[in-house]
Amino acid sequence: MSNKIDGPERATAGFSGSRWRLASILALGYLLMLFTLGIYRFWQVTTKRRFYWANTEIGGDALEYTGTATQLLIGFLLALVIFLPLYGFFFYLSTQSGETAVTGYIFAAVFLYFLAGYAIYRARRFRLSRTLWRGIRFQLSGSAWSYAFRRFFWSIVTALSAGLAYPFMAADLWRYRYNNTWYGDRRFNFGGSWRTIAVPFYASYAVIAASAIGAFAMLPDPKNGRVTADMFFSNTAAIGLMGLGVVVAVLSYFFLLSRITSAMFSTISAGRATLNVTVSARSLFWQYLAYAILVSMVIIMALGIFGVMTMDEYGRVMKGGDVDLAQLLRISWTNLVFYGLFYLTLLAIFSILSQTIIGLGYWRLVADGAVIENAEDLKSVRASGAESTLVGEGLADALNVGAY
Amino acid sequence: MEFKGTYYDGQVALARSVICSINDSSYSGSLMIRELDHQRVMTYWRLPDIVPVPAKKGQLRLGSNGKPAGARLVFKDPETAARLYNALPVLSLHRRRHRGTQARVVGLATLALASLVVAYIFGIPLLAGRIVGLIPAEMETRLGETAVAQLDLALAEQGGLVPCDPDPQSVANRALTRFARTAIAETGSLFDINVQVVANSIPNAFALPGGRAFYFQGLLQKTRSGDELAGVLAHEIGHVVYRDGMQQLVATAGTGLLVGFVLGDVTGLSIAGGIGAALIDTSFSRDAERRADRFALEAAARQAFDPSALGDLLERISSDDAVSQKFALLSTHPLTQERRLILGANQGVQTGAAPAFSEEEWRAISAMCASARPTKSKQKSG
Repeated sequence: MSNKIDGPERATAGFSGSRWRLASILALGYLLMLFTLGIYRFWQVTTKRRFYWANTEIGGDALEYTGTATQLLIGFLLALVIFLPLYGFFFYLSTQSGETAVTGYIFAAVFLYFLAGYAIYRARRFRLSRTLWRGIRFQLSGSAWSYAFRRFFWSIVTALSAGLAYPFMAADLWRYRYNNTWYGDRRFNFGGSWRTIAVPFYASYAVIAASAIGAFAMLPDPKNGRVTADMFFSNTAAIGLMGLGVVVAVLSYFFLLSRITSAMFSTISAGRATLNVTVSARSLFWQYLAYAILVSMVIIMALGIFGVMTMDEYGRVMKGGDVDLAQLLRISWTNLVFYGLFYLTLLAIFSILSQTIIGLGYWRLVADGAVIENAEDLKSVRASGAESTLVGEGLADALNVGAY
Repeated sequence: MEFKGTYYDGQVALARSVICSINDSSYSGSLMIRELDHQRVMTYWRLPDIVPVPAKKGQLRLGSNGKPAGARLVFKDPETAARLYNALPVLSLHRRRHRGTQARVVGLATLALASLVVAYIFGIPLLAGRIVGLIPAEMETRLGETAVAQLDLALAEQGGLVPCDPDPQSVANRALTRFARTAIAETGSLFDINVQVVANSIPNAFALPGGRAFYFQGLLQKTRSGDELAGVLAHEIGHVVYRDGMQQLVATAGTGLLVGFVLGDVTGLSIAGGIGAALIDTSFSRDAERRADRFALEAAARQAFDPSALGDLLERISSDDAVSQKFALLSTHPLTQERRLILGANQGVQTGAAPAFSEEEWRAISAMCASARPTKSKQKSG
C-alpha cells in the first residue's frame, strides 16, 4: 500500500465513524423499541444506515443514504402479505401427523432458503438506489428471481460437492450482482472468476480437511462401534493435535475471508476506473477475538446474575414448611416479566457487541483498504434512474437476511 | 455573509468548490451559488425550497425541492455550517416539522399495534370459540391421535401412555366409562370420551382434543377418594366439551403471528417471540380453567360427588418437591384462592343423585395399576 495522496487519478476511501456512536444509536433504538412494541425498529435501522453511509468518504466526498423509516415500515407490511399464507401453511402442518409434518417443514425450509435469495437481491437494489455519491445514485438492474434461482442452484451443487464448487458459486453470484450494478449511467464490471479465489480457497480447504481427518485418525478404534468421551481424553497427544487442528482451522478461516474480500473486490471496475481492496487477515482475527472475549465475559456475568436471582426465589420457596400457593404464583408472575426483560437486554447487548465489533469493523476494514485508480473517469458519469420500489426490503427484514 | 462549500448538481458526478451568499433572507429570497475560482454565478436556490438532509455531526448538507433529486450543497467546516444554519431559519423550521412528522408516525404505528394487541387479548376468547366451531370434529380427533402418539414418546421415560388395565370390561374401566358418558350426556358434544388410567409416574391428568382423556398412575396414587377422582375427571371432560385444546392451538398460532410482527421476525426463529407468546397464552387458559371448574360443579349435581375434594387433591400435590411439581397437575392447573372458593361453594349440597363412584368401584379403580409396574419410572427419589 503506497502513501500517495489523493490526486485527480486516485481516490482513496475511508470510514470515520466511531464504535461508541454506533453503540449509542443501537442502544437508544432498543430502548425505544421496548416502548413502541418494536415499531421503532425501522427508525433504528435508518439512523444506523445514515451513520454508516455518512461516515464513509470516497475521494473526499461522503456517501448519503436517502431511504426513510416509513419506507421500511411499508415494505415490511407488504412482506407480511406474503407471509400470512405461509404462516397458515405452518399452522396446518403442525396439526398433521409426524410424517407429513416433517416433509412439510423440510419443504417450507427449502422454499424459504430459495426466497431468501430473492429478498437479498431486492434488498440490495433498495439500498443501492438510495445511495448517493457526488449527487448521483447507484442502481441495480437484473432480475431478483434469476438471482434466487442461481443462488439456489449453486447451493445444491456446492453442497453435493462437499464445498469444492464454492469458488464457482462465488464467482457467478458476485458477477451477477456487480455486472448489474450501476453508478448513474456507468455500469460496473466484475472481472473475476473461480480462479480469483481458487488458490486461497482450496489451500484452506485442504488444511482444514487435513486437520479434521488427522483428528479423527488420532482416535483409538471404537469399542463395540461406540465412541465414548473418555476415549478423547485418554490420549493427550490426540488432544494436543486436535487443539492444534482447531487453531489452524480458525486461522485458515480468517485468512480465507480476508483473501476472498480483497481478491473479489479488486476485480471490479467501472469504465476505466478500477477498484483495489486490501483487507488484512490479522485485523479480522483481532476483531473476532475481541468479540469472542467480550461475549464470553457477558455470558459469565449473565449466568452469575441469573444464578443469584433464581437462588433467591428458590430459597424463598423452600424455606418454611407452609407454602402459600397464591404467594408462590405472585412471585412467579413478576419474576417472569423480569426474566423476560433480562433476556431481551441480553439479546440487545449481544447484538450491539456483534454490530459494533464485527459489523463496523468489517465495514471499516473494507473502506480503509479501498483505492480507486483512474478516478477521473468517474467525473463524466450522468444521473440515471430513481429509487426502487419497497417490496424487497421488507421481505429481507422479515426473513432476517438483510446485512447493514 | 459568504459560505464556502461543495456543490453537486445532481446531474453529473462532479464536486465543485463554491461560495454561497444569501440574496434576501426573506421567504422569497434565494441562495446564490458562485464558483470558487471564477466567481461566476452557477445557479440560485430558492430559500423556501431548501431542505436540510441528514449529515455527519457538525456538517451541513442541503438539498432543494426544485432541483434534481441528488443536487447537494455540502458544508464540511463546522463553523461555516453553524453560521449558515443560523442564517436560514427555514432550515430549523424544516427540521422541527420533520421531527414532528416522524414522531407522529411512530406514535400512530405504535398505537395501531397496541390496539391490535389489546383487541387480540380480549377478542381471542370470543374469536377462538367461533373459529373452533368451524373446524370439523374429524380434524380435531385426528389431531388428538397425533398428540397421543407424540406424548407417548415424550413421556416415555416416566412410562408413556400405556394403559394400566387394558380390559374394557373390567369393573374399573366400566365405571370410568359410565362416569364419562353420564358427564358428557346432554352437552351436545361432538366427541366420545375415552378415559384411560395409564402407568405413568407423573402426578397429572389431562384431556386431549377429540376426547381422549388420561389419568396418570402418579396422580392416582395420591388420590384418596372417589370424590377427588370424579372432580378431576369432570374438570377434564369440561375441557373436551368446550374444545379448549383446539382453542389453545388456534390462539397460540395467532399469538405467534402477532409477536412475530412486533419483533419483526415472522419465521418464528426468535425465542423472545416464544416467551412473549407464552405470556399471552396463559391468560387465555385461566378463563378456560374457570369454565372447566364450573362444568365440574354442574356435573357434581348429576352424579353426586364433592367438588371441593378437587381442591384438596391439588393442595396435596403442591406439597411435593419442586421437581415433580414441574410436571404435576399444579403446573397446568394452578390453585388460586378464587378457584378454591368456587370449588368449595357447593360443599354439602344434597342433590339426591346417584353417587359418582361406589365404594366397590373406587376400590377397583385405585387398584388398577397395582399389577402393572411402570417400566422406566422416575420416582420421587430421582
